[in-house]
Amino acid sequence: MDRTRRIKDILWLLTFFGIVAMVFRFYYGLGATTNLTDNLPWGVWKILNMVAGAALATSGFTVGFMVYVLKLEKYRPLLKPVVLVAFLGYGSSLFALLFDIGLPYRFWHPFVMWNEHSFLFEVFWCVSFYFLVTFLELTPTVLERFGLKKVQHFLHKLSPGIVIFGITLSSMHHTSLGSLFLVTPQRLHPLWYSPRIPLLFILSAIGGGLLMFIAIKMFYDYLQCSRKPGYTCSSVNGNPIKKSDSDQKEDFLRLRGLATIAAWVLGIYLCIKIIDLFWTGAFSSLFSWTWESFLYLSELLFATMLPIFLLIHPRTRKTQSGLAVAAVSGAFGLALNRLNVGIFGYFRDAGAIYFPSLAEWAISLGVISMAGLAFFFLAENFSIFDERWKTRHSQPLQLSIGFDKLSMVWKSVLLSGVDRVSLMAIFIIPIAWWTMYPPFQPDSSLPIHPPKALDAERHVLLIDGNQDGVATTFAHFEHQERLGGKESCVKCHHLTVPGDHATPCSRCHIYMSEETNIFDHTYHLKAVAKAEELTGIHPENNSCNSCHAPDVARSGTTAKNCLQCHDEDMHPVDAPEERLALMTATGYMHAMHKNCINCHREKAEEVQNNELGDCITCHRKQPGSIKFPTLLAKNHLHLN
Amino acid sequence: MDAWIEFAKGPLFAVSFLIMILGLGRHLFLQLDGLVRRKGRRLLKAPWRKIFTDSLSWVIPVRHIVDVHRTVLFSVSSYIFHIGVIVVPLFLADHIILWERLLGFHLPKIGTLLADVLTVITIACLLTLLGCRLFVERQRGVSRVSDYVLLVAVLIPFLSGFLASQPQLNPISWRAMFLIHLLSAELLFVLIPFTKLAHIVLFFFDRISQVHWQLRPGAGDMVSETLYGKEAKV
Repeated sequence: MDRTRRIKDILWLLTFFGIVAMVFRFYYGLGATTNLTDNLPWGVWKILNMVAGAALATSGFTVGFMVYVLKLEKYRPLLKPVVLVAFLGYGSSLFALLFDIGLPYRFWHPFVMWNEHSFLFEVFWCVSFYFLVTFLELTPTVLERFGLKKVQHFLHKLSPGIVIFGITLSSMHHTSLGSLFLVTPQRLHPLWYSPRIPLLFILSAIGGGLLMFIAIKMFYDYLQCSRKPGYTCSSVNGNPIKKSDSDQKEDFLRLRGLATIAAWVLGIYLCIKIIDLFWTGAFSSLFSWTWESFLYLSELLFATMLPIFLLIHPRTRKTQSGLAVAAVSGAFGLALNRLNVGIFGYFRDAGAIYFPSLAEWAISLGVISMAGLAFFFLAENFSIFDERWKTRHSQPLQLSIGFDKLSMVWKSVLLSGVDRVSLMAIFIIPIAWWTMYPPFQPDSSLPIHPPKALDAERHVLLIDGNQDGVATTFAHFEHQERLGGKESCVKCHHLTVPGDHATPCSRCHIYMSEETNIFDHTYHLKAVAKAEELTGIHPENNSCNSCHAPDVARSGTTAKNCLQCHDEDMHPVDAPEERLALMTATGYMHAMHKNCINCHREKAEEVQNNELGDCITCHRKQPGSIKFPTLLAKNHLHLN
Repeated sequence: MDAWIEFAKGPLFAVSFLIMILGLGRHLFLQLDGLVRRKGRRLLKAPWRKIFTDSLSWVIPVRHIVDVHRTVLFSVSSYIFHIGVIVVPLFLADHIILWERLLGFHLPKIGTLLADVLTVITIACLLTLLGCRLFVERQRGVSRVSDYVLLVAVLIPFLSGFLASQPQLNPISWRAMFLIHLLSAELLFVLIPFTKLAHIVLFFFDRISQVHWQLRPGAGDMVSETLYGKEAKV
């Protein structure tokens, strides 16, 4: 049980990561989530989860075909596990696709709006119907536990029909998945492009899918049973269930039988593939030793040669480990093939590399992990691999009372499933959020920050324009009161953005000493057209004459003054005659100084206090500033 | 320093706050789950009215503070401390900006003067509690290391926040104090769900302990046996 628990913990971890990525994928959209481009638009969700995932789940229809059509009764005990694998494989593929399509809520459109010229249309129909088929095949097993005999019998009667329907659908969509790549003869690398790609796809899916099922079955048995001689398998409560040697032997022979069939299919696949290389003339590029050729060779090695060799050689053929290595290698090779055809094969043509973003990995692995958790849940609670759930629920639950020395309570927490998983969740969810979509990222593109306040009501402002840690304190509230309350805002905040009341200085005075152009011409084109209700295909083209005089060359100097339209929502202190003056903002430092010093000098004479106009009035050590400004003399040069 | 402040104010705040919210939510879920699973339908028959009125009587606990154990100072300062610790962090004007950014709506705010006074009172109460636990023998006896650590952990954000808002009292620079305030508050967020500070949500369940507890006869002996071995007796 311990092994299963560890695996489940890892699956939960990936699931939580995936859930966070899923939520944010819908919130932020595809562009912010994925590393996909127009050049390489098919990423890990489509290729790994869908194309490879569906291929790895083919065992459902192949074993169904063997039992129901070829009447190979030997494999009947494998029917239920095989259906479970197919159900979860197809379910997770479809679920992952939901995140891949741009408008997920329109996933049902192909049911209603037919486009019979598209391969994807056929793939969609077959895959979704086949998913329904696996669901119907799985239902009797689930219903068995709840004792709904009538429904169960009805579905049992239907099952041969359903299975044959499923076989048809499967063989159709696996060839169509290959046909998808027929439309890109110029883009796909010649090693993988072939007119016979549909045939290659279905053959490799049959062989690799069977090997994948063997790998899953052996892994499940490994989790449940210790490797000690006598094949003791622990039940849920730790009471060993002995599995007899003959049972175990029979299990092994059954799986090896499947593997042998897979090896035959893969052998045929290998032959066709090599003949096809000569046929398409791509054989020369096989030994060009580019990394594509390495990928191609390793794909052939893992998907076909290694499993076939291990299943032919008399010594490895008889052992569990030989079979296990062959199965894992075959499944891996099949996945690699689909990745090659769907992703790696396009790198050369695109001249770019695609590597999935963290969020893409999280969703891809998260969906697979969810399928894994569903697998464990279904396997443990229904008679799919064994009848273990019956013994589990007849025995009373043992309460383990154990205190951890360090935390006094945590031991019991760590042993209980809900406690442990929820404990993981509260750490993983924030960390996933942080790593994939950093919250509240400061916008570092603007060099000048708005003044910071010493207090929340912004009574006293800290103005540190050049961000060197030396700030002047500015008694904002006092100035406001002295100049005449809220009515006096416009005396300093001379230009507000339309609809805004207190635009920060740095909104327009973006740079420290450079001028900034603050007139957004493109925005005005559309805004003016909208305001004046202009019509036409591109109404903004008609809006030129609203500001520019019709007969002279169009430029800033010949256009209307800003204030001719914005007489109410902008508040210039000294309305400049010069038209361009309103379209540029001076540097931040100049704006600050000009605004303060002129007023201070006037007041200095008025109140007979000469110091009021000096630098030291503002630039002195005050609460909130960090160090004393020593470069005042230098600054003084810029003042006038 | 600015980069650190930005980091502590942005991602670190969001993550630690989320850990606290999820952690407290988990406690709530596990408690309710356990309650419903163990008691089920019998919950309906529980004396809810009595539990409710009993709990309400603790909102102003004058009646309950009887000086038999000479803990009146401790109880009173604890009570006042809880008012400050709820009101100040939630409704301080400076924090309203934070809530607005995180939640998207305004909370009512309290005035600067009231906030300052409440903060000073809260700090004084905290120091009293710490002093009681340190110097009163009876209370030292029931205190564990975590009790002192947690009091200090609550004290630091209050103290640094107060000093950061009072430039004339602040011995170090404003930025440093602000950073200390942020980091200590975030440490507190993470500590809350995993220490006895989790009583933020768990105290509701303490109030209904009549319903919640289900001890078999002799349960106390079993606990002490598990903790201290067979010889120990309660």
